[in-house]
Amino acid sequence: MTQAMDDRQIRLDRMRYVKNKASSRLCYLGILLNVLYFVSIYKSDVASWYYQILVGGSIVYNLLFMLVVFLASEGVKNYQKGYSYLLFAVGAMQVARIFILPSQAHKAVVKISGTETVVMQNPQYWFVVACLALSAACLIAAGYINLHKSRILEAHISALKTAS
Amino acid sequence: MAELSLQHIDKIYDNNVQAVFDFNLEVKDGELIVLVGPSGCGKSTTLRMVAGLEDISKGKLLLDGKDITQAPAKDRDMAMVFQNYALYGHMTIYENMAFSLTLRKENPNVIHKKVLAAAEILDLTSQLNKKPAQLSGGQRQRVAMGRSIVRNPKVFLFDEPLSNLDAKLRGATRREILLLHKRLKATMLYVTHDQTEALTLADRIVCMSMGHVQQVGTPLELYDRPNNIFVASFIGLPPMNMLDVAVEDGQLHGKGFTVALSEDQRALLAPYKGKRVTLGVRPEDISEGQGLEMKVVTNENLGMNTLVHGLIGDNLRVTAKLRGWANYRNGDRVTLQCNKMHFFDQETENAIR
Repeated sequence: MTQAMDDRQIRLDRMRYVKNKASSRLCYLGILLNVLYFVSIYKSDVASWYYQILVGGSIVYNLLFMLVVFLASEGVKNYQKGYSYLLFAVGAMQVARIFILPSQAHKAVVKISGTETVVMQNPQYWFVVACLALSAACLIAAGYINLHKSRILEAHISALKTAS
Repeated sequence: MAELSLQHIDKIYDNNVQAVFDFNLEVKDGELIVLVGPSGCGKSTTLRMVAGLEDISKGKLLLDGKDITQAPAKDRDMAMVFQNYALYGHMTIYENMAFSLTLRKENPNVIHKKVLAAAEILDLTSQLNKKPAQLSGGQRQRVAMGRSIVRNPKVFLFDEPLSNLDAKLRGATRREILLLHKRLKATMLYVTHDQTEALTLADRIVCMSMGHVQQVGTPLELYDRPNNIFVASFIGLPPMNMLDVAVEDGQLHGKGFTVALSEDQRALLAPYKGKRVTLGVRPEDISEGQGLEMKVVTNENLGMNTLVHGLIGDNLRVTAKLRGWANYRNGDRVTLQCNKMHFFDQETENAIR
């Protein structure tokens, strides 16, 4: 029992010096999944359909997304609580994005040489949905882990200060 | 328990250049041995052979009786501290200190305990979250030492660890190494070209020149009873004055000066009567008195002492370290006496005893 307590205390104390790698790695994974999403979208432009709707905005958002999540990955590495909320917001945005480009493209039909073709076929649709959903899950998990750990660390540091 | 035995070790490089000749040394458990000598004398090569970073061309290396001559560096249970610290710039101090244990996949809680204990010893606890670039040279060197301590190796190897530090930091870090040695009671091999470090740190000193061991002994032995002209000149600051003299009728005759000998000295030099020998006198063994007249060239006040550089006889350069504050000017004449003299055979350059 004492040994277990001791181990738990050491594990807590280690957080003062060991970075929050779990959260930061989840952020990287979130970025990677987002890259897979937009590569899949942009390489399969059917009859320039994607240029019809907000494609410029989408590109700018992807760039901003990568910058913000990379910044957050550095923040959560150092247990900065504020970045958790940023990650929650960006994660929610990833879910919302499923209903913008992929959903519209999945429903859209274009004529190519007189034949009606669905812009985004089922396999691609489910692939990009999975990418965005998993990316959102990674970011929200990273934010949650960071929030949890930073609260524990704060309590530990204040306990140390009180003890000294 | 860590006893190191170096037996007839040679180092011959592929281009047939021999850097170390027949090196023999028995290092006792908990001993701090300092290898000292000028650049290129083979001291660092010897240390690197012990560490396993250089192959041993001939001879044997034993650690606690076990032959480790051919063992790879990682299996030797030794830790080395380098002159340039060799810290990872992108890692924090904590991560740097924990790195070797992390590679060995030790329990993170055990690593944490060891790193905190080492940081406590080295007064680095408040620096653990910083990066090496944020620390001073002395602190970085302490981190390098901490990285060695956490491994709890059998032997610590130091390769000129203080050479990158300024004079003040060097003194402070030197004292820390000494305290560390007393605290850990570990076997240490320490390489330096600085004889002050050697004299202050060592339990025993190995003085090397041109790949050969010149003398092994305690700091006092090397200072007081040097084996040969090289050791006599190398140990001690300022270096020993060396004068060419002839032994005649109970006196030493140099160019333009004469030194009287005591009964013991006469007996010692009896076999050299009529021959030339080298007279060695440490600057601190010269005081104002009767005997040698010196024409002062420069006067350096050190506070407690004054270094007086001048010429005796036929323009032979001599340095005297006189007690107190003196204000001699260029051209002043001072009469000096030698309180302790060393004699060396001019053919062999060995001490006459």
